[in-house]
Amino acid sequence: MTRTQLSKLLIVGLALPALFVPAGCLVYILFKGLPALSWSFIFSATEGTGFGASSGILAQLLGSLLLALAASLVATPFALGTAFYYRLYASPRQQRLLVGLLNMLQSIPPIVFGLFGLVVFVHFLQWGVSLLSGAVILALVILPMLVLNSIASLERIPREYTEAAQSLGLKHSAVIGRVWLGQAWPGILTGQLLAMARALSETAPILFTATVFSGVIWPTSIFSPVTTLQTHIFYLAQEGNNQEVTQIAWGSAVVLLAAVAGFSLLARRLSSWSDKARVITSEE
Amino acid sequence: MLRFWLSFSALSTALVIAAVLGFLLQASWPLLQSQGLGFVTEPDWYPYEALYGLLPVLVGSFWSVSLALLLAVPTGLAAAILCAELLPAHGRYLLRFSMEVMAGIPSVVYGLLGLWLLLPLLESQLDLLTGRSLLAAGLLLALMILPTIMVFSEAAIGAVVREQRETASLLGLDWSARLLRVLLPQAWPGIRVAVLLALGRAMGETVAVMLVVGSLDRLPQPLYNLLQPAQTLTSRIGREMAEASVGSVHWAALVASGLTLAVVAMALSLLVQRR
Repeated sequence: MTRTQLSKLLIVGLALPALFVPAGCLVYILFKGLPALSWSFIFSATEGTGFGASSGILAQLLGSLLLALAASLVATPFALGTAFYYRLYASPRQQRLLVGLLNMLQSIPPIVFGLFGLVVFVHFLQWGVSLLSGAVILALVILPMLVLNSIASLERIPREYTEAAQSLGLKHSAVIGRVWLGQAWPGILTGQLLAMARALSETAPILFTATVFSGVIWPTSIFSPVTTLQTHIFYLAQEGNNQEVTQIAWGSAVVLLAAVAGFSLLARRLSSWSDKARVITSEE
Repeated sequence: MLRFWLSFSALSTALVIAAVLGFLLQASWPLLQSQGLGFVTEPDWYPYEALYGLLPVLVGSFWSVSLALLLAVPTGLAAAILCAELLPAHGRYLLRFSMEVMAGIPSVVYGLLGLWLLLPLLESQLDLLTGRSLLAAGLLLALMILPTIMVFSEAAIGAVVREQRETASLLGLDWSARLLRVLLPQAWPGIRVAVLLALGRAMGETVAVMLVVGSLDRLPQPLYNLLQPAQTLTSRIGREMAEASVGSVHWAALVASGLTLAVVAMALSLLVQRR
């Protein structure tokens, strides 16, 4: 055997786990979770009495979506504002500083935002364990990826467009509204969808700041706690090895996975669609 | 008006970082006041006896993260080389897609896999009373950071320019020499970033680790024993955050743990950005 063959064999051997483990994990999750799924499991809501043994996860699913949507609503004005500032006013030095700070913010582990939220929002501002606290905390978690994505979308707009608009005497607000948003919205929306997927999969930061295990179906105000799929799974996992509980937990995991995958796939579709549209318009 | 909104937004990133550090420092003040910085190296954590040593969780975090990197870096790097250099387009697409799927699985679902698949497996294979251990945490973390390492390394290797590859072939280098002498050195900055990002991710991962690490507040006996239940920085915060009463020294100690985590993570991010 030659040295080349030997080293290739070594690479393949080392990479084997990466080839089979992902599929294995996915198949195992589906194998455990799919049998638990039924119409009434997904589309009925219970208050989580009997320590989660009574099934029906509609409330949790809606809670997760609501929290992710609220987080994105809180973060988006800041994310877009930062991206526009980056393009309109920032000097190259400020641009580097801003990206550095964003990377730094992104590197802070989510659980730290959970602690911060517990200190500041739940106790200091007295918002309590609530939808609002959770939304703002998750907004902090997704802010850097939203900004970086918006900046990247804006940078794909051909420079001539902006220059043409400015030489026509358009104000900054018109450049943003008429040119940039019109050109960059698919990219920005893709970022929103990916951020929603991220917010849906975060558990640690909202565990003690936004959610409760039982007693809530639908929050009545922004100051009431919610119940979410991801924290529901976590609580169930701690309940022990009761057959019924494990089945509900796996079923919830499949639903959560489907929701996350749904947002990611939608984002992929949108970005490949807008790439195609861009190629067609530039060919005309 | 517009300018105000944009400037304020741009400032918000810096404000948030300052607020996180400031409020966490303020909330951990009761501990710092009574114990100074010495608590970092104290070996005992018994909140009921007012002992708040951070050493056990630091050791726990160190072992679980090291083990995860030890397993995931060779595998992820090999998979990246395989993907960038050896696989046909179809296989490449499949491997990338499977990594994306893995990266998309929420950490609490990894927790379930750890709890109900990995732990029983460890118990039966290693004949342990409980599989909850740093080994379990390390294995699970390895799985979770594999996509990060693979995706970033593959991008770095794939970005090595065609001329470099062609020159290497023209010089008559065989495949392994080309890999070791040209591709990996060229891609090294990207691979380094991949490893550092994975390190940060593994260090900050909470719920999955909480479910499998065992949450025992003791130094491993002996120090390299990975088969005992243990505790990491994140799992302690997650475990005790709901129990500690706000304003107590116990609470301050938990916030101090979080502050430690944040400071190390931000230092890592500086390291990532400095080439």
